Amino acid sequence: MIDTATIIPTGDEIKAGIVFDTDSAAVVQQLVRYNPEMQITRIAPVTDEEDKIEQAIRKAAAASDLVVLIGGSGGGHRYSSTLGKDFTHTALEAMLSPSASRQLFGKNGHLWSCLVCGRLGDALVLNLPGPFVEASAAIEAFVKNAASDDLERINAAMAEAVRKQYP
Amino acid sequence: MADENIIVYTDKTVVKMQGLDVKGLDTRALEKILMDKFHSVVRVIGVTGSSIDMDIYGIDPEQIEKDEHGLIQAISTTEGVTATELAKLAGAEKIVPVDINHIPQRDHDYCARERWLHHD
Repeated sequence: MIDTATIIPTGDEIKAGIVFDTDSAAVVQQLVRYNPEMQITRIAPVTDEEDKIEQAIRKAAAASDLVVLIGGSGGGHRYSSTLGKDFTHTALEAMLSPSASRQLFGKNGHLWSCLVCGRLGDALVLNLPGPFVEASAAIEAFVKNAASDDLERINAAMAEAVRKQYP
Repeated sequence: MADENIIVYTDKTVVKMQGLDVKGLDTRALEKILMDKFHSVVRVIGVTGSSIDMDIYGIDPEQIEKDEHGLIQAISTTEGVTATELAKLAGAEKIVPVDINHIPQRDHDYCARERWLHHD
C-alpha cells in the first residue's frame, strides 16, 4: 500500500505562474481514490534543470512511498526554441533501478513523450506528461495498476493511456 | 531497464503564436475554446510569457493561416492571455512522416549534459 506521496511539478512556466498547475490537483484526486488515507505533499515547482530535478527526486524519494513528477517528458525543445527543455525523463532514467520506460514517437520521428517508472530505494518514482488530458489519463492508469507492484505492467498501462489521448 | 518505442500514427499541425502577453493561463480553458472553434482536438504543448505552441489535429496549415485573425481573437478571449498589437501566427506546419528506421536510438551512457544535447 502506498501511504505517502510527493508530487513534483516541473517547468519554468509553472514556477513563474505563466501557466496554472492544474495537473497536481488531478493527481491528488486520483491518488486519494486509490488510498483515501494517503498523505500527499505537493512541493514547489522545479525549474527545467536536470540537477535540480534530480535533487528534488532524491529528497522526495527519501520521504515518500511514491514520487510523481509532472512535465518535461517530451523532446520538443529540439525542434522549437520556445518549448521547455525536457529533463524529467532523462533524470529518472539515470537514477532508477529497476525501471521500465516507453517512448511515444510521432510519425514525424519526434519524441512526444517518454514515460518512466522505477525504484529509487524503497520509493516508486514515475513521471507524467505536462498536457492535462495526458497527465490525467496516465495517473488514472497508474492507480488502476498500482496494486500489482509490477513496473512493466504499470509503465505499459500508463503509456497506452497516453497514446489513446492522440486522435 | 525495460525499454520500448511506440509510434503514434496521427496527423497534426504544429502552431506557434507570438506577440501574446501570458500570465496565469489555464491551458484546459484555452484548449476548450480552440476545440470549439476548430471542432478538432487541440493540445497546448508549450507556453512562455509571450508565445504559445500548440498541436491542432486533423486541420491543415492553410486553413489555420487563412483564419489567423480568428485564431488570435479566440486565443485572446481566454483568461490569462492578452493579444498585443504584435500578435501573429509565427508558424503552422503539418508534421512530415519519416521512415520508422530513422527514429534515433537512445544511449544512456553519456553524462547528463551530453545525453540531453545528443538524445533527450
